[in-house]
Amino acid sequence: MSNSYRGSVLTMLTPAVGLIGVFIFVPMLLTVWLSLQDWSTQTGFQTARFIGLDNFSEIFGPTSIGRDFKRAFVNTALYTVLSIALILPLSVAFGLLVHQRNVAGGTILRTVLFSTYMVPMIAVALVWSKLYSPTEGPINQMLGWVGLGPQPWLSSPSTALVSIVLLNVWQQVGYFTVLIIAGLTQIPNSLYEAATLDGARPRQQFTAITLPLLRRTLLFSAVIAIINAVQVFEPVALITQGGPVGSTNVLTFHIRRVGIERAQGGLGSAMAVTLMLSLIVVIFALFAFARRNDNE
Amino acid sequence: MTLAWTFKYALAAGIALLPHTALAQSVNISYLTHWAPETVALLEQAAKDYAKDHPDVAVTVRAVPFGDLLTTLRSQGGGADGATIAGIYDLWLPELARDKLVAPAPEPVAGGVKEAWPAGVATAASVGGTVYGIPNEIDVYALNYNKALFAEAGIATPPKTWDELKDAATKLTKKDAGQQGFGMINSWAAGVVHPFSSLLVSNGGELVVDGKPALDSKQAGETFQLYEDLIKAGVTDPAMATADANTTGPFLDNFVSGKTGMLIMANWWESALKAGMGDKFSDIATAPIPVGPSGDKPRSISYSWMTVVNAGAGEAEQKAAWDFLAWLNSPESGPNGASAMANILMSMGILPSRTSDVEAFKDKLGSEFLAGYVSVLADAKPFPVVLGGQEFSESLQQTIEALQYGQVTAKDAQASAQADAVSILARAAK
Repeated sequence: MSNSYRGSVLTMLTPAVGLIGVFIFVPMLLTVWLSLQDWSTQTGFQTARFIGLDNFSEIFGPTSIGRDFKRAFVNTALYTVLSIALILPLSVAFGLLVHQRNVAGGTILRTVLFSTYMVPMIAVALVWSKLYSPTEGPINQMLGWVGLGPQPWLSSPSTALVSIVLLNVWQQVGYFTVLIIAGLTQIPNSLYEAATLDGARPRQQFTAITLPLLRRTLLFSAVIAIINAVQVFEPVALITQGGPVGSTNVLTFHIRRVGIERAQGGLGSAMAVTLMLSLIVVIFALFAFARRNDNE
Repeated sequence: MTLAWTFKYALAAGIALLPHTALAQSVNISYLTHWAPETVALLEQAAKDYAKDHPDVAVTVRAVPFGDLLTTLRSQGGGADGATIAGIYDLWLPELARDKLVAPAPEPVAGGVKEAWPAGVATAASVGGTVYGIPNEIDVYALNYNKALFAEAGIATPPKTWDELKDAATKLTKKDAGQQGFGMINSWAAGVVHPFSSLLVSNGGELVVDGKPALDSKQAGETFQLYEDLIKAGVTDPAMATADANTTGPFLDNFVSGKTGMLIMANWWESALKAGMGDKFSDIATAPIPVGPSGDKPRSISYSWMTVVNAGAGEAEQKAAWDFLAWLNSPESGPNGASAMANILMSMGILPSRTSDVEAFKDKLGSEFLAGYVSVLADAKPFPVVLGGQEFSESLQQTIEALQYGQVTAKDAQASAQADAVSILARAAK
């Protein structure tokens, strides 16, 4: 490789790499560095004092700091798993429904599904907090019509997180349905025609053609859904404030409380680093699992 | 006069006025609050009144929900672009002062605070003897009860002791009708901790003694036990107790709609009750906190709010901010010897703390609802203002909520609350 070629490559790459370095890698490295310091977010970086892994042992320790962090970690994991478990199958189901061009009202259904994604979270939070109202909420009134007793929804630690998950699913499923539709359009019709000629039933066509060929779309959707779920913040901040009994206290909300409200920057950074590492592990595991299936 | 001459005169007048206009708005200060829009409108009106004599100062008001107030202060408050003035809860002051987010009051203002406010309130606005804010409101907790529901249940007077409280709660509970006798609050730190603390002090206990947590006392144990008894008896339903980021939500809805017989709350929610109940607000009365088995007389918890000035603001902005605040809280700014601030507070049912304001609003403070609060003020104990206070409060909130939902016993809750408090306050004091 000639020097002039190398120079022009460097010249062309420098602006993009520089921007990525300044706006992505520097903050990430700074967060990792701060996680090893005792530092108040209200003071300059020069006041940070190196304490090694103390922040990490604190957030995994037996005190209230560790207990609250571990609870928030588990809540975030549960929220993510439940969201993915509901969003992906529903988006495939809705995608298949909407993709059927012969079904009347398909376009309207597609518009309605996607519209929930466009509604600002503040509006969604306001409306759903009223829908979930235990005594005067319409959802409980409707349950009453079919003979089911009122549910506590956001008012009970056993149902509050699930209620937030349902709200998230309602808002996000339209977006993922659009992704699935995009994946479905990539599957050649000839495969279905050949399968039909071979006598394959719709269910067999779905399991043998649709699902395998949607694998990459599903993988992409799962990654995006996981990242979205891990970053959940608005419904918790707007509706539950992490309660009751910390049952909806997710990591992003907890990190804000620790790092900003209490100004414990070192502890907050240690929590953020743990969240980042967990996310990287999960995403890598997902890709490894997908690659293994591809090889098989 | 021709059109050309008219134009020339207008131009000359415009040029002549231009420097004055520019000078007239030379200092811009902003005021951060958590108040509702109608109260913000009153503050904006007061700022306009101030501007009549101070055309060189422009005051803008910015409101955020209570749940976001501390975060906004922490994330924006210390910079030159942050709000110049902020209304804060006294519990936050020690840490905001330690982190140099708030400026010490200049001597004339500090002297005025010490002179015109009761000593306890002035102390809550100070750290290490230095005054950092001008106090405005004082809030105290009392028992609110629904007279109509009491009459329906055949209860003649509000409970004076914990035994009477349990008895009244049992009589008021109608599970089939979704009615609870005694209401608790959850998902909001102050809403959980303050009523608990009021019962604790009314039982002769304290949260913190000489900077050390005192939740391992006999009195605290009895208070945790009272909660467990009420929960186990089914006379309080935690599912009806949830609060949201705006400190409203089901706990308020249930009291307003007559599904909660009584609960412990602060005076400031008078405006929310009036808005929610309309004419039925007359059903609501106030009584002192029932006395526990180890208590000698009804006591309560009080806390105060104050306005502080951003230490990161420019010198001119800080000077203008203190001048505006001194005016806003002075007897000259409002009607009949009251301050404009007191006028705003009273519109929400909040007790002003300046001695001259209490005198000016003597008649209004004698209303059936507020008189009950004013009467318990003398024996109220200020909520402990210590470093780490907010974290301590949030930790105690978690423990009490776990007790409310039957996840822990009273004994375990007490042990856990004390251990957490010891660790939090020790770490904060380092």
